[in-house]
Amino acid sequence: MTVNIAGVVLTASVAAFFVGALGSFIDRRIGYLASSAGSVGLLAVAVTVIVGGSVTGATWFGPLGASEGLSLDALSAFFVLVASIVWTATSLYSLAYDDRRSPLLAVTYSLALGSIALLMSASDQVLFLIGWETMTLASYGMILQAHGRGDRVYSAAFVFLAFGEASTLFVFLAVAGFWVGTGTFTFGPHLGPGSLATLVFVAGLIGFGLKMGIVPFHMSEWLPIAHSSAPSNASAVLSATLTLAGAYGLFRIVSLLSSPPLWWGAVMLGIGAISALLGALFASVSEHTKGLPAYSTIENNGLILVALGVALLAESDGLTALAVFAVFAALYQALAHAVAKTGLFLSAGYIEHTSHTFDLNSIDGSVKEGSPGEYAGTIAAVLSLAASPPLAGFVSEWMILESLFQSYRFGQSWVQFVGLLSGAAVALAAGLILVAMVKFAGFSILWKPHASTPAKRTPGLGAVVAAVGTIVVAVGVLAPWVLRFLAPSASAVLGANVSAPVGSLLSVPADWSILSGSPFGIMSPPMIPIALLVGATVGAGYYLLGRPRPRRRVKLWMAGSPPGEPGQTYTSFAYSTGIRVMMSSVLGTREVRESQGPVAVAGVHAGEPYSVDLEVFDSFKLFYAALVRIGNAISDALKAWIMPGRLGRYLAYVLVVVVAVVVYVAAAY
Amino acid sequence: MIGSSRTPSGRPGPTSANPDLALAYAADDGSFAVYNDYSSGHETIRPGSEAEGSRDVVATWRRTSDAWRVRPAAPVEAVEGYGVFTFPYGPISMGVPESGRFDVRTYGERILALSPVAGYKSRRILSSVCGQTVSDAALRIERLAGNFSAAHVAAFLSAAESATGASVARGELWVRALAQELQRIYNHIHVIARVAEAASQNVGTAQAHALAEEMLRVQGSVFGHRWLFGALLTSGPRRRLDPAERRALGGTLKRHAEAFERLWELFLGSRTFVDRIQSTCVVAPSVARDWGAVGPTLRACGIAWDDRLRVPTSPYTDLFLDLPQESSGDALARLLVRAHEVRASFLLIEQLLDRWPVTPEALEAPPSSLASSRGLGRVESPSGDLVYDVTVSRDRVVSIGMRSASQANFPVFALGLRDGVFTDFHFAWESFGLVFAEVDG
Amino acid sequence: MPTWIGQAVRNGIVTTRYPEVPASESEIPPTGRPPVPTQGPNSLRAGVSLCPVGAISERAVDQGKCIRCARCLPGGFEFLGPVEAAVLTRSALAAEESPGALSRPIPPLAPLSRSLHVFLVDAGSCNACNLEVLALTNPLYDSQRLGIFFTNSPRHADVLLVVGVPTDEMVEPLRRAYDALPAPKAVVAVGVCAISGGAFAGIEGLHDSLDQLLPVDVYVPGCPPAPVNVLDGLLRATGRGRRT
Repeated sequence: MTVNIAGVVLTASVAAFFVGALGSFIDRRIGYLASSAGSVGLLAVAVTVIVGGSVTGATWFGPLGASEGLSLDALSAFFVLVASIVWTATSLYSLAYDDRRSPLLAVTYSLALGSIALLMSASDQVLFLIGWETMTLASYGMILQAHGRGDRVYSAAFVFLAFGEASTLFVFLAVAGFWVGTGTFTFGPHLGPGSLATLVFVAGLIGFGLKMGIVPFHMSEWLPIAHSSAPSNASAVLSATLTLAGAYGLFRIVSLLSSPPLWWGAVMLGIGAISALLGALFASVSEHTKGLPAYSTIENNGLILVALGVALLAESDGLTALAVFAVFAALYQALAHAVAKTGLFLSAGYIEHTSHTFDLNSIDGSVKEGSPGEYAGTIAAVLSLAASPPLAGFVSEWMILESLFQSYRFGQSWVQFVGLLSGAAVALAAGLILVAMVKFAGFSILWKPHASTPAKRTPGLGAVVAAVGTIVVAVGVLAPWVLRFLAPSASAVLGANVSAPVGSLLSVPADWSILSGSPFGIMSPPMIPIALLVGATVGAGYYLLGRPRPRRRVKLWMAGSPPGEPGQTYTSFAYSTGIRVMMSSVLGTREVRESQGPVAVAGVHAGEPYSVDLEVFDSFKLFYAALVRIGNAISDALKAWIMPGRLGRYLAYVLVVVVAVVVYVAAAY
Repeated sequence: MIGSSRTPSGRPGPTSANPDLALAYAADDGSFAVYNDYSSGHETIRPGSEAEGSRDVVATWRRTSDAWRVRPAAPVEAVEGYGVFTFPYGPISMGVPESGRFDVRTYGERILALSPVAGYKSRRILSSVCGQTVSDAALRIERLAGNFSAAHVAAFLSAAESATGASVARGELWVRALAQELQRIYNHIHVIARVAEAASQNVGTAQAHALAEEMLRVQGSVFGHRWLFGALLTSGPRRRLDPAERRALGGTLKRHAEAFERLWELFLGSRTFVDRIQSTCVVAPSVARDWGAVGPTLRACGIAWDDRLRVPTSPYTDLFLDLPQESSGDALARLLVRAHEVRASFLLIEQLLDRWPVTPEALEAPPSSLASSRGLGRVESPSGDLVYDVTVSRDRVVSIGMRSASQANFPVFALGLRDGVFTDFHFAWESFGLVFAEVDG
Repeated sequence: MPTWIGQAVRNGIVTTRYPEVPASESEIPPTGRPPVPTQGPNSLRAGVSLCPVGAISERAVDQGKCIRCARCLPGGFEFLGPVEAAVLTRSALAAEESPGALSRPIPPLAPLSRSLHVFLVDAGSCNACNLEVLALTNPLYDSQRLGIFFTNSPRHADVLLVVGVPTDEMVEPLRRAYDALPAPKAVVAVGVCAISGGAFAGIEGLHDSLDQLLPVDVYVPGCPPAPVNVLDGLLRATGRGRRT
């Protein structure tokens, strides 16, 4: 028997996080270093698995007598791969970022990473559930480490915990349903169609959806991040990989349920499209350097759902080619989002470090003075999230829209209609998220004057952001090769061997292009930079060899007023007020005015100064407020009815239970 | 004295001594009206009773070294709030071809408060004419606001004449009325053209500008000057007003009046145009009254005040003038009022030409007086009530005060645009027919 | 029922053919032409005392100062000068052999021989010059047919067209506008206010002439110059002005 090196590395890597968590009590750097090492180890194993096949790590016998332990197949390996890329970046970043916080941050951080690694590499569903629950608890601890603890932090963390526990409950339900149907906790056998499968699907969609922050559970995503202003490394982990865990769960469920009915896909598609639209809308009116990316996460997870929904619909309808393409799109979306979003949160951390603010309106120019790496990395991440070619986000957005364009192929007209509406929503979301991303880049870096005082230089942070930016570019430009690399993972989802949707057209080299169904769209990401490069070369040559032309250089013109007067610059808030006003019915925009009393100059009425606040309101808050009220009412009623505080009643309960047990045991034997 | 009487007791709301007159801002006790006196070196305050009796205006603007500093032309409304900033528009922009600035407080899209800032192009005209002869001063006064030159010269001359007690030939007064009505027609058509331009009514804009240009040419052919500079001065270019020329003028104007009717019918038939200016920049009657709006702005919110009817002088006393008013106070109402007035002015000119006096058109030499005497001149300029307050001694201007229609209307423009959106700006601005030159002096 | 198209057809083509044909009488009122002495030195001698702005000396009339007030007419002057009165130097406006000097052919400002984009700046005018300049875009003059366009920003313009007597308050904004114009650029002073202060010469706080502040390339006299005068000035900047 050969030594299973990959299995050993897998086990050691997962263990490294937990060891690091303990070590953080001594020195927080131990935790971050151990996390970095664990991430790199996981990265290596994941690549090995995708290229070479499944790997099994340590196994033991679980409480229910079944064998359980760590193992990776092509599907889980994909998610471990994405997560480990993110973690490598955030852990190295944390070494420079976290220099004065409580060691508990490093402890909970390592613990959260370890839990996610555990649940993703769990070979069976019980271990998965254990990892799922520790992930929730560790993340709760992480959110509590925010600056300036107060009611906001505690209530935000509590909301996170409440949603997290609700999520565990539904995931538990899904696992139980699966066990009833198949009699096993392993990820092997498929569950055939039926009411049990429907239960598993619905419970899974809700349970994992809660973690992905899709509508109507989006509070679980933005609220803890924005309201508590959680530490940036924690935000990146929460937004990029905690939601990734939810996506992993969803992919797993889809892969384990065979012959899905049409409405599953339609529901996923619809919810995904609404999430994408609302996420993008709220992102575009957010003024918080972390709230904005958090809302964007809702949009991106919605897009994953959209792609999966199309895949399910296509599978139900027998459109295999479309199903394959949509699954690739979903995987690509998960990858593109996680990496770019990490870049954005790390950039927000950089802004926090230099400008000491989370408010896009009050960022000063010192961010601009920082490092070129931070600058370039942020731009790459922002452009990718805004789906600009040739970056990662563009490829996935293109693939998702291409699969939606093909909804005309569906057999039933109502499905076509759902596809059409979802396509419109996704396209609108793409437009709105562009506003949000331009706003983030513009008001944090691009449109800022240079600061008068030199910024505090923290090259480590900038370097990590730059590295993330490089990955974003590479994943975009090298898309055809990445897709081929992902073929085993897609096969795992579909349960059949599929090849990447790549091909060629005209004089583009073979397999340099992405094909969305043979007679449909084609796009070649590597050709875009090449075309840009050729264009730039021609332009430069023309400029250098041609007749020298005078440069027309002019100064900034502000209608004759001196430019750059303080208080006269466009605010980030004003940039998106148009959307606040136009979409007021969705955003619940309302203006609050407060008069400061009339003022007179030399006895003549000279106006009445007032303060003004234009507020937007997430109307789902009303839904949750109602839910809380109903919950309180029920518990009040139960309290009065079941627990009235009379001893006699409680003794009667005990008696009833004892009798019931006696009857059950007697009946069994 | 000033300090105590001007200190507001309670809410310093704007009240006017005479709501109908609504000359300008007044203090809380309603005792005095304010206008910019550019000539007197010190403040002059007259109690309310005196102002009431003489219906006079009283100067309170202290002329100091910084009197010419760039200053807000309307009350500044301070607005603070999250994301609120000041958007400076001007002083040089093609949207408003004159030099003047607008400070817009906004959180994006919406105008929370607007303060027009005037004074960029102040030529110190009123102070510079002190010491000049009346006829030399008139050369500068007619260049105070080129498109309102006839109104300014007429008001100035009538103030000077009222001060010296000079009697003016009847024909001279008729010439002044003719010039003013011609210029009123030009200005109203120009305003309509500019509003249409803001609404991108390209064909209508071109047609209206062409008609306005025709009116300038009429003025040029009758008075020798397209802007009537010198037209009301005996030393000016030759006026051609013999009977044959009057007939020719009548014929030309009849043609233009018909052309205007066709044009206006087309404008009112253009739904996109009417919809765009309807309920844009509404001025409430109470605001117009309190802040002392004048002219078409006032008449568009249902307050009938027109100097030609309320304080008529010859020849308006002898002529029929019908001026319907509007009540909605929006840009459309202001435009409707102007269109009515174009019609009315064409009719007025027809009457003037029909009943042209045969008396000599020369101005009698005013008796030269050693003592300085003060006179008030008021005319209805195209944008509204225009007041000159001139003190003359030995045919020389000693001091001079002026309250122009634009000065009176700037505050209501700024208040009307509050809570509007940026895109309303040009419709609102053009519909008031405000002129910075008239405010800056 | 009247329609815009019907209205347009009814009115026909109203656009002037200037500069191919001379300006018609309706396009140029008497005061649109410079006054010239009809009796030589006698007129000039009589005019010195009549002129309120000191434009008339015993040797010549300074068209850069004349506000066309017509007070000199009794002394033997007539508005008979050429419509094409724009010149490239300040001294040419006061040349002794006036008004012949005004119509001498002038070379174009080298880089601006074709289409012009014009940015209008009001440095302190009475609004008449502004309106006359903007009247060029109305259908009767239609400056676009000659390639003359008005821009909304100086950054898109070739020519800074300044009207009015520069006030202290406008010096800075004027300078900013000039700086915002990309090179090659030209400055056209329209109206005697911008050239010499016109009726406002000598008032404290005003800058009597624009060329103290900016390098002026074309001077267009008049108070205000009629649209054809302005058109002539702009065409002169391109070397396409009408020869007389």
